[in-house]
Amino acid sequence: MSAPLPKRIIKETERLQNEPVPGISAQPHDDNARYFDVMVEGPGGSCYEGGVFNLELFLPDDYPMCPPRIRFLTRIYHPNIDRLGRICLDVLKNNWSPALQIRTILLSIQALLGAPNPEDPLNEAVAKQWKENQSEAIETAREWTKLYAQKN
Amino acid sequence: MNVIDSVGLSDFGAEGEEDSSDTSSALMRPDEQLEEKSAPAILAAHDDARALVRLVQCQLCSKPFRLPVTLPCGHSLCRDCLPEAHEREHVSYPDIPGRRKALQCPFEDCDEEHATADCNVDVTLNKIMEAIVDVVAKHTSIAGDTPTTMEVISSWDNPTGILPSSEKTIYHQLPGGRLIATFTLAAQGKLGYNTELNYPIESSAEESERAVDDTVLSDLLESLRKEVDCHVCYNLMLDPVTTFCGHTLCRRCLERVLDHSLHCPVCRRTLVIQPSLKTQPTNKTLDNLLKGLCAEALAARAEAFAQEEDEEQGDLKTPLFVCTLGFPNQPTFLRIFEPRYRLMLRRAMETNREFGMLMYNRYLEPQGDLGPVHFYHYGTMLHIVQTQTLSDGTSLIETRGLYRFRVKAHGTRDGYSVGSIERIEDVTLEEEERIEAEETSLPPVEMGDMVDEIARMSTHNLLEMGRAFVARMQSRSASWLQQRVLDIHGQPPSDAALFPYWFASVLPISDEEKYKLLSTTTVRARLKVTASWIRRIESQRWYAPSPSPSVQSE
Repeated sequence: MSAPLPKRIIKETERLQNEPVPGISAQPHDDNARYFDVMVEGPGGSCYEGGVFNLELFLPDDYPMCPPRIRFLTRIYHPNIDRLGRICLDVLKNNWSPALQIRTILLSIQALLGAPNPEDPLNEAVAKQWKENQSEAIETAREWTKLYAQKN
Repeated sequence: MNVIDSVGLSDFGAEGEEDSSDTSSALMRPDEQLEEKSAPAILAAHDDARALVRLVQCQLCSKPFRLPVTLPCGHSLCRDCLPEAHEREHVSYPDIPGRRKALQCPFEDCDEEHATADCNVDVTLNKIMEAIVDVVAKHTSIAGDTPTTMEVISSWDNPTGILPSSEKTIYHQLPGGRLIATFTLAAQGKLGYNTELNYPIESSAEESERAVDDTVLSDLLESLRKEVDCHVCYNLMLDPVTTFCGHTLCRRCLERVLDHSLHCPVCRRTLVIQPSLKTQPTNKTLDNLLKGLCAEALAARAEAFAQEEDEEQGDLKTPLFVCTLGFPNQPTFLRIFEPRYRLMLRRAMETNREFGMLMYNRYLEPQGDLGPVHFYHYGTMLHIVQTQTLSDGTSLIETRGLYRFRVKAHGTRDGYSVGSIERIEDVTLEEEERIEAEETSLPPVEMGDMVDEIARMSTHNLLEMGRAFVARMQSRSASWLQQRVLDIHGQPPSDAALFPYWFASVLPISDEEKYKLLSTTTVRARLKVTASWIRRIESQRWYAPSPSPSVQSE
């Protein structure tokens, strides 16, 4: 039994579509307005540049009191993103605040692509590689981007 | 202090008071105002120019707010108008910088001390002032040379009591329509907060002047629109409350935020605030400003909010707490810490102080028409006797069982379960008597069959069996009948209808077994259940330890 969609979600969705953020898009499903198909472009200058990453985003019942649930669908080589696409990002967990929104969260994720943090890893193997041989890790990330994150 | 009732209109002058008194009471009680659809008294750009400017005048310096600070009492003033802080005495906790000094509140109806740490720039009000100054600057530059004449009315509340009768009436001439000219006069410090103005009308230009003011006001509303939206619900702020760090949200939104965390959602500073916001006053300046500028939108917002609250519920009106067993007439103690249940508790406290208690259905056993659901479908309606909110926002509550019910349909609302229920009641006394007569007159059975034997006992004997068992156990100092338990649950009731509930509340056997009482519809049926427990305990020492009566939410 679903309650009517809160005004906040309606407004956020409208703004996402009317004032899109460059390099980011979020499209709600027709049959479930709380479920979004998300696309984030790899930031320029990073090893993910040129990549187009697909993510899924879901707004739980108690949104915005609780953060959106979000994960990468496109494979990505990143110390803070695990094999299931889950993301280690403070604002998606304890540092969530209801004053944040879908837009700011997606920008944070894009920024995370530009600044991988192997000190707080979610993917141990990638983080290890990142710390021990950064240039090789970056190269792998570039390859994966070419391999999996191309626009089709 | 009741915040809602304390929202005063003292910030308005004589003119404003008349216009706004009815809307304010209507708006502050969204649930009561639905019937009264009288048009809200919005301040008109031209005719109420003086009152409009007063909305943003500092009561201390009479100038438009500059870096406004909203005090813990809900009043605002310019930062430069804050009285000088003094060292506080006799305050040793919490001894942190910013709380060692305090200032005396200059507003008469407050007159309290405010710690300097609590006096910060009101971010929303400041942005509003910046937007106003921008709009005024823009319109002043295009105003050209058609000035507005303003005649200062000698104010009857002149503190000196001396009317400047010997002098000529004071006139001011400033560029722009009434709004711009009046604001500019205030900015120049020539318009006292309580001073009234008269605008001598030059009939020829009346229409065009009116149009000028209307344009200014609509420009202003346009540029203020995004500043007066709540950061959490994205709607026009309803009953705005400002935190000590200067951030403003709807009261309802801040309440909900505090269910989850004691940090400001905007700046993440720890909020030293009562999570219930009971004593947190409304931001008076902002509230009056919203009422003066967009009373209609605000009324619509309040109405939509009330409707939303109503609609969301639909037929599933009863809040359900899936946690433990409760029994009619018996106390249940709970600690509420999950955000969703805090919200449920608050809503219950605002309405009839009741919620349904259901037992958790761990193995998803089918529950009648509902199928395998996460709760057992018979429950007890609990009445909240008292709540104590701890400093971390969690609550300890004492409840007493009212009546039993069965869940007919269920759903969720903001994370907790809700449902439509039907009451489970005992059959009529005649029916009760008929059943007893029928059962006790059955031919006797062979010894040893416990069920048949119990079925043939009189209702009175079933009760006596229970009471005798309790007396026997008491004489043996059974741990589950200690004084502490009796203090909470009382002595065994002599009322046969209630004895089983009491017995189930104190007896350490499994909850699944006790649950059988909830669906019974005769006193006799309940006593037969308790009698079967006693027989089994006596024959096998059959009972399992059970958790203490004080339980936590899931």
